[in-house]
Amino acid sequence: MDTPLPPAPPDDPLTTFFWEAARRHELHIQRCQSCGTYIHMPRPICRNCQSFDLAGEQVSGRATLYSWTQTYKPFHPYFVERVPYVIATVTLVEQPGLQFMCNLIGIDQANVDAEARMGMDLEVTFQDLGDGYVVPQFKPVGVVL
Amino acid sequence: MSVQRQGRKVAIVGVGYSDVGRNTGLSERHHAAQAAVRALEDAGLQAKDIDGASTWGGDAVDFGWMIGFDDLRWSLNVGVAPAFITPAYHAAQAVAMGHADTVMAFRIMMQQPPSAALASGAAMLGEPSMVDAQFRWPYGNFSPVQWAGLLMNRYMHETGATEEHFARFAEVQRSYAQRNPDALLRDPLSAEDYLAKPYVTKPLRVLDCDYPCDSGSAVIFTTEERARDLRQPMVLVEASALSAIRDMNFELLPDMVRTSPKHCGDLLWSRTDLRPENVSTAHLYDGFSIITLQWLEGLGLCEPGGAAQFVMDGETRLGGKVPTNTDGGAINVGRRHGANFCIEAVRQLRGQCGDRQVAGADVSVWANAVGMFSGAMLLTKG
Repeated sequence: MDTPLPPAPPDDPLTTFFWEAARRHELHIQRCQSCGTYIHMPRPICRNCQSFDLAGEQVSGRATLYSWTQTYKPFHPYFVERVPYVIATVTLVEQPGLQFMCNLIGIDQANVDAEARMGMDLEVTFQDLGDGYVVPQFKPVGVVL
Repeated sequence: MSVQRQGRKVAIVGVGYSDVGRNTGLSERHHAAQAAVRALEDAGLQAKDIDGASTWGGDAVDFGWMIGFDDLRWSLNVGVAPAFITPAYHAAQAVAMGHADTVMAFRIMMQQPPSAALASGAAMLGEPSMVDAQFRWPYGNFSPVQWAGLLMNRYMHETGATEEHFARFAEVQRSYAQRNPDALLRDPLSAEDYLAKPYVTKPLRVLDCDYPCDSGSAVIFTTEERARDLRQPMVLVEASALSAIRDMNFELLPDMVRTSPKHCGDLLWSRTDLRPENVSTAHLYDGFSIITLQWLEGLGLCEPGGAAQFVMDGETRLGGKVPTNTDGGAINVGRRHGANFCIEAVRQLRGQCGDRQVAGADVSVWANAVGMFSGAMLLTKG
């Protein structure tokens, strides 16, 4: 039996750029075209200058680990065979406090305390869940998956 | 300089719970009706004395008609908000402003689907924003227990708190629950018992989570003047505050160690001449245990970053500096979503807490939620 994928992104004009970029293995984050502020998650207005002129822009894909938690309980069929896995909040280098939520991959789940170090340098990578559903993930810099 | 009060002085005159339990088979309406009748009985009021209602869970207008309240002069249904403090805060404001004279605030909460149903795809947790959920679901982030793991781990990283501190927290809460006939979990619990439990979202364990159940809670607010003629010892609302510091994405909070409880605490203390050192008992949300620690610090009841050690040193026990969550917390009394902290604060100030009573309690603070939003209320003995 095929395991159902996680719920797919809705057909949402505000976030299409993000998922289309992910399919090209690029990380794009919404940015205000007036003042340059990055905004995540995408919104129709810039909270810094109230401009409505916003667009996705490619970012470096570099980040630092802000916090992590290792999930042991699946809350969806897709993850039943995938526990334990690490959910992380990372800070993208483009802007202070620009947080992005993802999984931390490329680490040994059995040795998570030693391998997931707060503040460590991370880089983006891309994971194909199937059916063209590609999600940006982060891994320690230099780790080959 | 003394803080100037606006509006009428407000009192809490009645509190009540439904038959709280696991999968009770009772509807939201049934829980609301039971809690309301018990709160009315507690106050010595009749249904027709109530002229305002607020709730999170069910519908205040529906409840008012069903129970037989007077024509409502004020009502409010609360959506996703900082737990029970939101209907309670606004009920108190409605009385203070004279929009209604006697208001019942409800929190009705039905037990959520078991994790086995979630894991099989038979059930799905609700999301306040389906649009934002697209950035969580593909990462296997479905449940609040996951952002709580992020908060707890970052807190431990910055403060040096360890799992042993959280084990002590669980032990202290259970020791209170053993003295509370309303608690659902009352078996003895040691720090070792806590540490023997598996992780849910490491470093967080199941005993860091409130206990899922069906619950109905009701609290009656009226004027100090009317309260004088009623059944119970006087409990007054001294000050209250609500705070919101970002949108509904806990995971993206840039500082997980100092979230809205700090902002909320600052607001609260700016509205009273009382100070943190005047607090006799504290009743601080424990949807996850890390939340209570953030409140101890955010309200200035202990040093910033010092809450875990404060608990370890026994300062939240009976006889400690600030007896905290004396009902056992929602981890043990069940998920009454913040209302239990209000009700226990009221009972402490009335002197009705039996062998968990804090002698001479005259100032109690209760607080709900964490992260992007929160609320707190300071109560005094009249």
